[in-house]
Amino acid sequence: MLEVAAPEPLPVPQARAGDPAAWETLFRRYQMPLYVYVFELTHDEQASLDLVQESFIAAVKHVGSLREDGKFGSWLFGIAHQKCLQRWRKRGGWEILFDEIPESPGETGDGPDELLIRRERETEFMNLLNQLPLPHRSVLLLHFVEDFSIEEIARITETQPGTVKSRLHYAKKSLRQILEAKNENAA
Amino acid sequence: MKTPRDLLFEQHQDAKSKLDAISSEVVARSREEQHDAIPKLRISGLSNFALLLWRELILPSRRVWAGLAAAWVLILAVNFALRDPALAGKAKVSAPVMMSFQEQQKLLNELLVDRSLPDDVDRPKSFLPRPRSERIVVVMT
Repeated sequence: MLEVAAPEPLPVPQARAGDPAAWETLFRRYQMPLYVYVFELTHDEQASLDLVQESFIAAVKHVGSLREDGKFGSWLFGIAHQKCLQRWRKRGGWEILFDEIPESPGETGDGPDELLIRRERETEFMNLLNQLPLPHRSVLLLHFVEDFSIEEIARITETQPGTVKSRLHYAKKSLRQILEAKNENAA
Repeated sequence: MKTPRDLLFEQHQDAKSKLDAISSEVVARSREEQHDAIPKLRISGLSNFALLLWRELILPSRRVWAGLAAAWVLILAVNFALRDPALAGKAKVSAPVMMSFQEQQKLLNELLVDRSLPDDVDRPKSFLPRPRSERIVVVMT
């Protein structure tokens, strides 16, 4: 029987105690997922790099407010999400984009790896992802990038778990529909 | 075939070096801040304590403290105003003057003691008793 090695625990207690090496490990672990998430929301490279940096600085400053060490990832994404919101609010566009989407109830039993993308469809997938409304894209990215649970995504985006569930369902359904439509057109 | 995660990460591989630099910079900055913070804490321990007292004790009830201070100022002012001016003057006498005054007082006391005594009391007698035979009777004529 194949044994899967347990993931190494993150050095959150050491980071909390002010160990720079622990912070380095945590940043290296989350820098890319965080950047991908922020970039796919903003589509601005420099802004995304700034937001990642600001999130890291805020994490070092406010690590005392982190209640559970095991939730470090979702806590850090929550900081980055708030930073994105602040940036968008300054420009006055976020509220409209985030609030006008009708929610539809549904089940989301699929894991993030359930959707596999063939090489020739990669560019299409990225384009389709960008066509999704922002709240749905946000939820889907969190699901894809870090496989966060519904509750964790709800905490990051400060929404109800039911809302996250329906957004995720809607996002996946939309992606499938668009992909299927493309396939039909191609056939 | 790739998972969405793999695809997304692959799309942003170019940013890796920049992200590494950002991570290192934030860590270095936090390290510097830690080093700066320790001596500052030691040096300004007292001022921090004073600041803490100010922030925790004085500032929240500043009106009460101001009222108490005003009451004390009033009490002191009234106290000074009602003070006996003669006593206040005495308090200003310097030490040498005080000494000479005490000496004068002492001399005066001695003189007064001498005057107050009657002439025949405790005064040494000027003659010695003699035998009867040696007595000379002086007849005044």
